[in-house]
Amino acid sequence: MADVMVEVRDLHKQFGALHVLKGVSLQVERGEVVVIIGPSGSGKSTLLRCLNRLEEPTSGTIFIRGEEITDPRAKLPRIRRHIGMVFQLFNLFPHMTVLENVMEGPRTVLGMPRAEAEARALELLRKVGLEDKARNKPATLSGGQQQRVAIARALAMSPDVMLFDEVTSALDPELVGEVLAVMRNLAEEGMTMLVVTHEMGFAQRVADRVVFLDQGVIAEQGSPEQIFTRAQQERTRQFLNQLHWDADDETGAPLGSGERR
Amino acid sequence: MPYQWRFDVVWQALPFMLQGLGMTVLLTVAAMVLSLALGLLVSLARLSKSSLVTLPARAYTEFFRGTPFLVQLLWVYYSLPILTGLRFSAFLSGLIALAINLGAFVAEIFRAGITSIERGQREAAIALGMTWWQMMRRVILPQAIRRVIPPLGSIWVSLFKDTSLVSVIGVSELMYQAKAVSIDTYRPMEVYTVLAVIYFVMTYPQARFVDRLFERHRVRA
Repeated sequence: MADVMVEVRDLHKQFGALHVLKGVSLQVERGEVVVIIGPSGSGKSTLLRCLNRLEEPTSGTIFIRGEEITDPRAKLPRIRRHIGMVFQLFNLFPHMTVLENVMEGPRTVLGMPRAEAEARALELLRKVGLEDKARNKPATLSGGQQQRVAIARALAMSPDVMLFDEVTSALDPELVGEVLAVMRNLAEEGMTMLVVTHEMGFAQRVADRVVFLDQGVIAEQGSPEQIFTRAQQERTRQFLNQLHWDADDETGAPLGSGERR
Repeated sequence: MPYQWRFDVVWQALPFMLQGLGMTVLLTVAAMVLSLALGLLVSLARLSKSSLVTLPARAYTEFFRGTPFLVQLLWVYYSLPILTGLRFSAFLSGLIALAINLGAFVAEIFRAGITSIERGQREAAIALGMTWWQMMRRVILPQAIRRVIPPLGSIWVSLFKDTSLVSVIGVSELMYQAKAVSIDTYRPMEVYTVLAVIYFVMTYPQARFVDRLFERHRVRA
């Protein structure tokens, strides 16, 4: 039974004269992992940020769990509780400990009692492998650790859908894996996820669907296999080829056409 | 004939002069508390989305920072009673004028502190589903407070010295007392020298403390 978690209809977003999103329509079902790829400036992050109205859409409608978030009368804080977001720069609260960061949403937004919130936070930190850092301040953690805390913080709200905005782009390469591992577990547990990323390996292995966004429109979408090995659009192939070229240079591990890492 | 310094005369009058010190401290503390409250409210008003709220707030900060305090003081003491029929004592007029004047500076300090908290913090709070007020209370203001403490410390030290201006409307703080002694002893040179020393002795340790506040903040950043 299809359960549409996120529905986007003809989304346009302009920043002044710059038309970033030019009519994007998308549906994401419960439990689906959708990975959004595309060149810089294609509007990937903008698309994600419109979903919880961090960016205001210029036109178009967005439904989260069937509720229209683009409705001017929508109670945004309430709808946003059901959407978890993880940012490229982590954005942990520096004046709180790791534990307090994860507890913050349930306590302040959901009014959860302290003990319950603390228990839930510790459980989530255990899940991302950071319970021993609970009393630390975020600044003492590595980037990868901070990002895992950020994921725990978002999960503490028990969201129905998780948005990941280039969450590994600011990390040193050796720290990327630990974050992707957490995301993969989440996917396997059935979380509905929209992931903007350049990590093609992750897309290949974890995504149910890959969406290629280019110049503000969805140029192509399909299963990872379809996109990475049998892309139908020329621009998709061009983009992927370019990436392969970079991948060859930096990691020595070629992607694509039938080869798995 | 060279001037004959006679500090002994002033030394005798010192207790009388120091009676004003209590008033000075009272004015400083009271004005600081009031201006902090006022300044915080105005800074939040300036950050509002509604221009109905931001415009008066902006007018207030621009006006009271852009006109001389002495003029504001005299206006509160002489003009306000005529306009409103309310008559305040000299002390209250002085306190009100100080609080309103300082409030404008404090508001700008808070506003700068709040907007210096980077956008990502705001977004993270919003993404969790916080209301504007929850975001301010739990995320933005706690971080902003740390940043505004050094400049507020500077304001405090300035305030301590600026209380001397309310002597012109007859509030018997330190400056006023000193003036009385000077008139009485015909020794303005000595009196005002001693007065300066008293102010310096009071403000120097505080100024050094504020310097340390600035250093600590810089090092951490």
